[in-house]
Formats: sequence, structure tokens, C-alpha cells
Amino acid sequence: MTTATQSQASGPKPIDLAHQDAGQASFLTTNIDAFINWGRGNSLWPFPFGTACCAIEYMAAMSSRFDFARFATEFMRFTPRQSDMLLVMGTVTYKQAPILRRIWEQMAEPKWVLSFGACACSGGFYDCYCTVPGIDEIVPVDVYIAGCPPRPEAYMEAAMLLQEKIKDESYMEQRRQGLQQKVYIG
Amino acid sequence: MSHSHEAHETAKTWADEPVAATAQSRKDAQGSLFALLNGKFGVTLDPLDSWGLTVVVEKAKLRELMLFLRDDQACLFTTLMDITAVDCLNWPGHEGPRFSVVYILRSLTHISNRMRVKVWVEEDDLDVPSIHDIWKIANWQERETFDQYGIQFVGHPNLKRLLNHHEFVGHPLRKDYPAQRRQKLSMNDPMLDQMEARLKAQGYTILDSIPETSPQVEDVLKGGN
Repeated sequence: MTTATQSQASGPKPIDLAHQDAGQASFLTTNIDAFINWGRGNSLWPFPFGTACCAIEYMAAMSSRFDFARFATEFMRFTPRQSDMLLVMGTVTYKQAPILRRIWEQMAEPKWVLSFGACACSGGFYDCYCTVPGIDEIVPVDVYIAGCPPRPEAYMEAAMLLQEKIKDESYMEQRRQGLQQKVYIG
Repeated sequence: MSHSHEAHETAKTWADEPVAATAQSRKDAQGSLFALLNGKFGVTLDPLDSWGLTVVVEKAKLRELMLFLRDDQACLFTTLMDITAVDCLNWPGHEGPRFSVVYILRSLTHISNRMRVKVWVEEDDLDVPSIHDIWKIANWQERETFDQYGIQFVGHPNLKRLLNHHEFVGHPLRKDYPAQRRQKLSMNDPMLDQMEARLKAQGYTILDSIPETSPQVEDVLKGGN
């Protein structure tokens, strides 16, 4: 998973768009990490991997009363190729584990995983032969949310926590690592 | 003026049956069913069942009994609710075979008819005749019972695991299976054999099969990475 490396001790400088003169501004000064992270954190495309009642609660969180979309996580995609935030909501059995892993592998970097509810985090009360005791056995997890199921407010807090985490990531560092690891085939 | 509808009015239909069973009607039905089955198949009452009707039958007479229960006008057990098994390992005071297979039956016609049929199964002889052709639902119920208890249903067309994955070893609802022994699955079962059979039965032609695995998935699930 992406490492949350602090690129500067003081933290990236926030973008001050509010004071831009909208009609005349043709440039802005910032650093690349702050700009990329601002974009990434505010356009999360979720992939819902809903297997149990936490997914029902997600429907409530997505619909108009709570409106999960206010937190820039609106554009739900049902293909992993087009999404960067995997929401695992519900019990995952060992029979299902390869499917979850495969979906995670199909998502393009950068990608984040949110584990919703007791079952996804720890197996919940299914302490038995068939249930995965926490999806972090299968995929790396960025945010764990407690609850059985969590309330919609918890879903929103998860999104905000993830955005906080994304702010600390460094695109340049990831790019450097990626260039080092890059293997050209053919 | 047509009189053709009068014949229908006199015919008795299922709607003439009482809409709800009472405690007395169930008790009467249990008594008459047991008398009928005891005389015909030599079934015995199960002493473990203290409130309903459970009859114990020999394996050899199981299919014959089930066909009778489904088709006889006094029984008409149209619905097989469930098939399950009981593992009597370490059961206090238990003597005799380790497993019993239980068939839970209900009639939708005679509303007071409900009963269970039990077959005792020795641990070293797990064969039980399959009844998948008597009630179609028995096909999956027998697969589940095989999966969880290891009962071998003889004559079943496709006795594969139903709930647990295909790499699972052992039968988890047996009393000697540690409840928390988890078994990882390295590769999905695409279940193409069943899918292709169904498609072929519907007149489709299978051009090519797609392998379902990827090496990365297997590595990670086997503890690589």
C-alpha cells in the first residue's frame, strides 16, 4: 500500500484558492504534493464491496438525508478499474476472500481500503471456521471503522480520516519509488 | 343455462381444509401417522423427540418410506423442509451409531401433518440412499449435509461441497472438528462445470473456458508476499 511519508517537517502549504481573483488568476503557487493530495483527497471514487448489513447502512449514508457525497466521495463505480477507494462492508468468508483480493488487485494505484464494521475489521462475532478474522489478512487496510453496523456519521468520519491521511502522502516520493521499481518488459 | 360449474362446486378442494392446525389436530395426525407407518414400514418412535413426531427407519426402507410419505393420500408431505444430521459424539448417555440424518417434512395439503424421519448412520458406514429424485430440493440439502457432516448420499448426481470451499479438508459441524480451525482458499472455484452443463442443457454452445486464477492471488493467500 502507499506509504504515508511526510515530505516536509512543517507539512505542505495549503492552497489558498479563496483569495484568488477568479477572473484574473492565471497561476498559483504551491508545492506538488499539496496540489496532488488536494485533488486525490477530494475526488475519491468508491467501489462498494458490500456483503452484509453494513452495506445497507451505506445506502443510508449515500442517500439524501446524510449525503455521503458531501465528502467528495460521490462517484460510486461498480468496476475496480475506475475506482480508488475500496469500501469493504460486511462479513468476508474464506470462500469470498480470493474475490476481494482480486478486486483490490484490479484497482489502479493510488488506492485506499476502508474496512467498515466489526465483521470486516475483525470477523465480528463469527469466530468460526469459515469467516476471515479481519480483511487485513487479505488486503491492506487504511481506515478501520467500528460498529455493528456503523452509523452514517461513522462513514463520514471515515472519509474525513482518509482525506487527512491522503494529505500526508507524498506523490513525489511514490513516484521516485515507482521509477526505481519499474520493470520494462519486451 | 349451463350447469357445468356445479361439478366443481361439489368437488372437495384444499380450501376446505382448516386454515390453521390446532394442538389437538396435530396430536391426532401424529397418532394416525405413526400407526400407519409402523404397520407398513416397521418404524419406531424416537425417544429423543419429546414434543413432535419423529420416526426412526432403517436405511434400506428409507426411499420406500419417503415415496409413500410424498404420495399417499393420508400423508401428502409435499414439502421437504430440510435435511440435516446430528453428531452424537460425546452425547451424554448415548449408545449406538454416531450420526443420525434427519428429514423434516411438512404437508401443505393436510395442515396438521408435520414430522421428522430419522436414519441412524454408523461412523464406518456413512452411506445413506439419496432422495434427490423424490424432492428436488433434496439435491442441495444433501450436498450441505455431506459438506458439514460427511454423510455419503448414494445415488446423488453431484455430491460436492455446497457451503465450504472446494479446498476445505474435513467436515466442520462434526463435534471433533475444532470450530476455529480456519482454512484458506487459494483459488476460486469458478463452478464452470455446473454452469456449462446448464448452458448446454439450454442449447448453448461452449466455445472456450476462461481460467479463473491469477498467480499473485495464489501467492498472497498461501502466505507469500
